[in-house]
Amino acid sequence: MAKQTVRWVLRYRPGQRVVHWLHAGAFFVLLITGLALIWPPLSFLAAGGLSRLLHRVAAVIFLLTPVLYALLDFRGLRDLVRDSFTYTREDLEWLKGFPGYFLGRTSHLPPQGRINAGQKIHHALTIISYFTISGSGLVLWLGKGSLGPIGLLAATLVHDVSMAVMAILTVGHIYFTFVYDALPAMTTGYVSEEYARMEHAMWLASIPQEPPYVIEVQEEFWSLAGLPASGRKKRQ
Amino acid sequence: MARLAMLIDLSRCLGCQACVIACKAGRELAPGERWVEIREVVWGRFPELQGAFVPHRCFHCAEAACVQVCPTGALYKRDGFTLVDFGRCSGCGYCVEVCPYQVPRLVDGRVSKCASCLDLVQRGEEPWCVRTCPAGALQCGTREEILAEAQARVAALKDRYPEAQIYGETQMGGLGVIMVLPAPPETLGLPAQPQIPPLAIWKGGVQPLSLGALALSALTSGIAFFIARRRHLEEKRNSQNHGE
Repeated sequence: MAKQTVRWVLRYRPGQRVVHWLHAGAFFVLLITGLALIWPPLSFLAAGGLSRLLHRVAAVIFLLTPVLYALLDFRGLRDLVRDSFTYTREDLEWLKGFPGYFLGRTSHLPPQGRINAGQKIHHALTIISYFTISGSGLVLWLGKGSLGPIGLLAATLVHDVSMAVMAILTVGHIYFTFVYDALPAMTTGYVSEEYARMEHAMWLASIPQEPPYVIEVQEEFWSLAGLPASGRKKRQ
Repeated sequence: MARLAMLIDLSRCLGCQACVIACKAGRELAPGERWVEIREVVWGRFPELQGAFVPHRCFHCAEAACVQVCPTGALYKRDGFTLVDFGRCSGCGYCVEVCPYQVPRLVDGRVSKCASCLDLVQRGEEPWCVRTCPAGALQCGTREEILAEAQARVAALKDRYPEAQIYGETQMGGLGVIMVLPAPPETLGLPAQPQIPPLAIWKGGVQPLSLGALALSALTSGIAFFIARRRHLEEKRNSQNHGE
């Protein structure tokens, strides 16, 4: 069987991946058990208080993942916060080209660093929503009985809007992951060099071109990491 | 069934608590649970004191704040009463926060409030509290009958209690409990004009908007995915050909 050499670039370290999936898992449990309270077809989950228990267990995990991130990989957390709130002229250029990016094109965009402008905004909004949804959630959890109607209304409003923001961000997050084959970044930790070149050229240029940052893998038709579509074409 | 209502005549209530116990026994309420409470209210200046026994129980508002906020539909309106599907209650406690009369409680993580004896009324029987009242202070019937009865009783009371009046005809869209008061509601600790908290913008606006925006984003992404995917693969092929 023909083999070819594929270069993969380390994008997320193990600690980052663990934190990502823990946070994602907790988020989806929170989303579904929360939707049970506002979307009648899911309300059977709320009957008897099952969704409330799940929501609170997941909430604790969700709240603590940034702490876990700091413990496992402080550099990753620091970079995330710094990059999410640092914007340059290139970012503005990138954002002007966003409609094309949304529909699958990258060639018209200026070269990007480790994260592009869209990801920066995504991360920034996620961080802000993390605080608003956690704050309002804790108020609803711990303040029940002493909120009064107005307090309840305000906390629930903040919680609902934060939920909507996060859920829509997540739709976009999943969308771009699958449009641009970015899933391996969070499973194996590596992205194909092709992906890195198309999406994050400046970042690719800035990292050492040696293991473990860049690895070469002899790949057959099938591989665990998922062979890029280009490989299939070449074999034919 | 027609819109039903209960009559509670405070001028006749003895404060004997028989309704409290009949309700608790008849509805087989859990320990610590009671759907009817009687509170003694005293006003005036010693020695010129006056008093009344004021019921603290669900008044079955037509425009019920609890029903509006209940996320699971466990609270709902039927035949003029606010009923409870206890199996659907998630114990979120929103009803506790919004009730203008502070009636619902949480007992064992579940709402506890008068769910009416509609089942008995439909069988032609009377609610437990009504059938046990020794003073004729309680009645149950269609809302028109109850209102007419209340008006007649108020008229008869005017000599003894000049400030006698009906309570519940208009409050909260009209209560399912019409009360005959010997004194103004404020004196008895009842809000003259209870308000529905401004919940409409939250339940009626923000939540459907949130769900709509979420559904719209999912739909847009779902459609755009096929276009974007095709164009991305095309661009990938081009960049490879270019590189070779």
